Order: sequence, then C-alpha cells, then structure tokens
Amino acid sequence: MKFYLLLLPMILSVSLYGQAEKGNVQFELVFGGQPVEIGKNYYLPSARDSIRLETIRFYISHIQFFDDDRLMGSLKKSHILLDTENPESLHFSMPEGVSGNFNRIRFLLGTDSLANVSGAMGGDLDPIQGMYWAWQSGYINIKIEGVSSVCPARNHLFQFHIGGYQPPFASSQIVDLPVSASQQIVIRADLEAFFSQVNLSETYQIMSPGGQAVKYAKLFGSVFSVTQ
Amino acid sequence: MKIRLLYLCFFTLACLAFSGETGFELEYPDYFPAPVYDFGKNPLSPEKVRLGRVLFYDPVLSRDGTISCASCHSPYNGFAHTDHDLSHGIDDQIGTRNAPALFNLAWQKSFMWDGAINHLDMQALAPISHPAEMGEAIAHVVSKLQKTERYPGLFYVAFADSVVTGEYILKALAQFQLTLVSANSKYDEVKRGNTTFSEQEENGYRLFLQNCNSCHREPLFSSFDFANNGLPLDTTLNDLGKWQITHQREDSLRFKIPSLRNLTYTYPYMHDGRFRRLSQVINHYTSGIQISETLAGELKKPISLTNDEKTDLIAFLLTLNDTRFVFDPNHQFPKEILLPSEGFQN
Repeated sequence: MKFYLLLLPMILSVSLYGQAEKGNVQFELVFGGQPVEIGKNYYLPSARDSIRLETIRFYISHIQFFDDDRLMGSLKKSHILLDTENPESLHFSMPEGVSGNFNRIRFLLGTDSLANVSGAMGGDLDPIQGMYWAWQSGYINIKIEGVSSVCPARNHLFQFHIGGYQPPFASSQIVDLPVSASQQIVIRADLEAFFSQVNLSETYQIMSPGGQAVKYAKLFGSVFSVTQ
Repeated sequence: MKIRLLYLCFFTLACLAFSGETGFELEYPDYFPAPVYDFGKNPLSPEKVRLGRVLFYDPVLSRDGTISCASCHSPYNGFAHTDHDLSHGIDDQIGTRNAPALFNLAWQKSFMWDGAINHLDMQALAPISHPAEMGEAIAHVVSKLQKTERYPGLFYVAFADSVVTGEYILKALAQFQLTLVSANSKYDEVKRGNTTFSEQEENGYRLFLQNCNSCHREPLFSSFDFANNGLPLDTTLNDLGKWQITHQREDSLRFKIPSLRNLTYTYPYMHDGRFRRLSQVINHYTSGIQISETLAGELKKPISLTNDEKTDLIAFLLTLNDTRFVFDPNHQFPKEILLPSEGFQN
C-alpha cells in the first residue's frame, strides 16, 4: 500500500486534470420521486404498505459509451460496486475521449462470467465486500434487503440476493440507455418501479441462482433511466 | 525531507525486490498432466506459501478461535479427517459430508463433493463462512488479522502490503494448498523406474486398469469428474450431490470422484464416510451397486472379481500411499511462527 504513496503526486495531477476535462456519471436511487435513504420508510401505493430499505448494493461492469453503434469509449475499471450507503461509490468520471460524442450508455448490471471463475480478486471484487457466495462460487450481483409488514419472514425481512453466472441461470443484464451527450449524466434507478412489480407477501427470499433470480435481475434492470 | 526521500527510495527498492524475484514453480513428475490452476494470476512465492501455511493452522479463522483448517484436514491423514465419517465444526457441530483429503489440488478444476466451488482460491470461503464449520465471516477475519502483532508483517513480506485483504488471505491459503503435491508413492517410484511391483501388486495394477482407471485415472487416480457410483441413498442425509448445485436432473447423486492416493491415511471412504475398510469399498463395486437413472455407464455392467483378485487389487491400491508426502515436515504445523513462546526459532 505504501508503494502507492510514490504514485500519489502523479495520480493527483492526473485526476485534477481529469476533473476539468471529463464528464461525470452519477447514479441516483429514488423511490417514486424521493432519493433513497437507508432506514427510511417509503409508501408503496400498489401494496398499500410502507417499505423500509436496509441494503441496496449492486455491481455494474463494462460501462461503454456509444454513438449509435460506434463504441466511443469504455470505463477502464471493469467492475464497480454501487452502494447506497457509500455516496462516493455512486459516481465516476467518463473515460478519456468521451465527451459530447455519444448518444447511448451501455453497461452490464452485475458481474461478468469471467470475474466469477477467476479466483480471488481485490478492491470492489474482494469477497470481504459481502457480495460473494461462500457455499457456491459466484458473485451476488444485486443485494436488496429491507422490511415490509406484508412480508411473512422473520422480523418481516425481505432479502433478494441475486446472482448466478452459469446458463440457463446467468443473471447479469445488459442495460442500454439512450442519452443526449452532456458533461453530467444522471442514471436513475426507481425502486418504486421495482417494488410495485414484486409481491413481498409471496416472494421475499431469493438467495441462490435460478429462475427467480433471473426474473428479479431482469426486473431490476428495467428500472434504470437517464434524466438530464 | 531528505529522510523521507530516502525512506521512499527504500520502499521503491523493497517493492522491486518483491516483484517476482522470489517466485518458484510447482514441482511435479513429468508423467503428471499440466496443472489446471492459473499460476499467472497467483504466482507462487515462498513467503506467500508460508503465510498460507500459518493461516491454514491458525484457528483465528473461526468465530471463537477453536477450529482451524487443519482441524478437519490433518497433515498426518493426507489432510483428511481419519476416523470421522462426517466433518466436525464449531460448537461441536457435525456436518453432512466427509472432509476430503487435500493433495494434488492444482490439477482439480472444481472442489467439494458437489463441485460447488469453481476455483481453489475461493474454496476456503466455504468452511470459514459455514455455520457448522468455522462460523466466521471473511470480512471479520480480515479485521481480526489486521489487529494482531503477527500478521501485518507476514502479509507485508508476502504481498508488499501490510493491509490485510480477503484477496490476499485466499491467495495465500491457495498457495500453501497448491504445494501439497503427492507424487512419492511406491507407484511413483515404479513409474520412475526406481523399483518394481511385487507379483501381487502387478496383478492388482492390471485389474485396476481394467476396472477402475476410467474414473480413477492414473497418475492422479481421478479424472476429478462427477459420477453416480451406485451408492444407495442414505435417507438420514438425503444428499443428492451435484444436483443440489445445478438442479439438473442428470446430476442427481453425482459426486466428485476422489483420488485413490493415500487411502491408508484417509479412511473412512465415500462422500458420507460410510465405508471404513477398503474391502467394503471393493465389495460395493462388485455386489452393492444400486441401479438408478444417473448411474455411471462404467458401472452398469457389474464388476466381477474373485477373492484373490480383490486382495491383489487392494495390494496395488496400497502402493499409492505416499508416506513422504504424509509426513513432510514442510506441510506441518508452523510452530516457529504460531508458538514462538516455546522457543522455536524461525
């Protein structure tokens, strides 16, 4: 770790330079119109119930910027763990050479299959992040946990641990969003849209790869949009 | 300022010194196939192997500091748990499967009796996290190790970084386990032309090649594939093997094929440790096979052996015992590090 001290001046100058030049992508998690806060209650009209969210963490990978079908640039870091409780994790700079010349952003919601079979990795992919299954190899791509009174589980807790990389239950989803080029892109995920399609009195625990996991991954993948 | 610069220079040199100079390659006989483990992503070094060995024997990996990897994978038992049919864990709990022997892991592409783990690096996470094994969480292991006097230094020497991470723990544990190579049995000595089989062993070898080698393929004595070997389902466990991971019908009752090396040290046998003696195992294959939909093709036609042939086959199987591996001091408890107070020097 101390080795990186040597690189610090270099990193600092690059990032200061970068901030002036590069655009920024921000992820915004909302429930209806309100920003999501962990531990806060949200009213869900479709279920006539309120939901308290405890955890929303998910991987995105292979973030690419396209002009129609032409790839203009991709983020160097292959995997990012987004965590509602860590605002720093929710934004990143656009890659080199991407500025005003794209009309689509595409990313994989979840980890790629290679990450799931390549052994121990560090940083966002370190198993200490709590996003790796111990009993069966593979990353948890999306972790959504919370409390709802309609949920029959112990303490009314619902837990969606969504992952799986092997066909037919590969759960990572391509999200492809039209966007008008700008220095500031906000990608919004609306949790109300997710929960209004989920019946928490019936399905409240998904903790292994399978058909349910794929269904819920698709559902979560469908609630992303770009606001400008 | 000058001192700081010198300090930085020292670190640069130190880091350069760590960048690969100390690496080594796994040694194995030329009649072994190429390993499947990707050493490019985790190049072996003596410092990482040593760290992995210390971690392997340190019960700090368990929730209450009572269980180490070696609790169920003892070096004197070929890193299995001799005499225990099912694995033992924290709070005197008993698991559902027999603790498998650990050797020649660099040649295996998946782990656990059901293949749940797809990479040796990730294997250790399972026992660390299992509530009936070590009952701990890897993130908590990281914070426990970081607070010790012993470990930050060992991590620094191994990874040029004194910050403990999950990645480093898993890679170090994998490195120690990769060095557990069993290739010095009598069979190996015969292979190398240094000795010969007795007449009985020779006959047993012939029977082995006819009846067993397609699944327990030499020289590793396993294809490390999965098979239903016709064991009747134990209804106290209802273990369907690989099906529990894949939920595919064809995987029902299929278990990982274990190596036949070191059998004297690794009894009892099978995924649930149901057989205590090799003769019971052989009798299962000659007269105990239960026909079912997923039964291995090789076992559909019964294996027929006379009593003399069974004895000869067992005589051959005993030539796969690797005493040098089982009693190799390099694989044993690192007392110089874990018990420094007893005066052992490094």
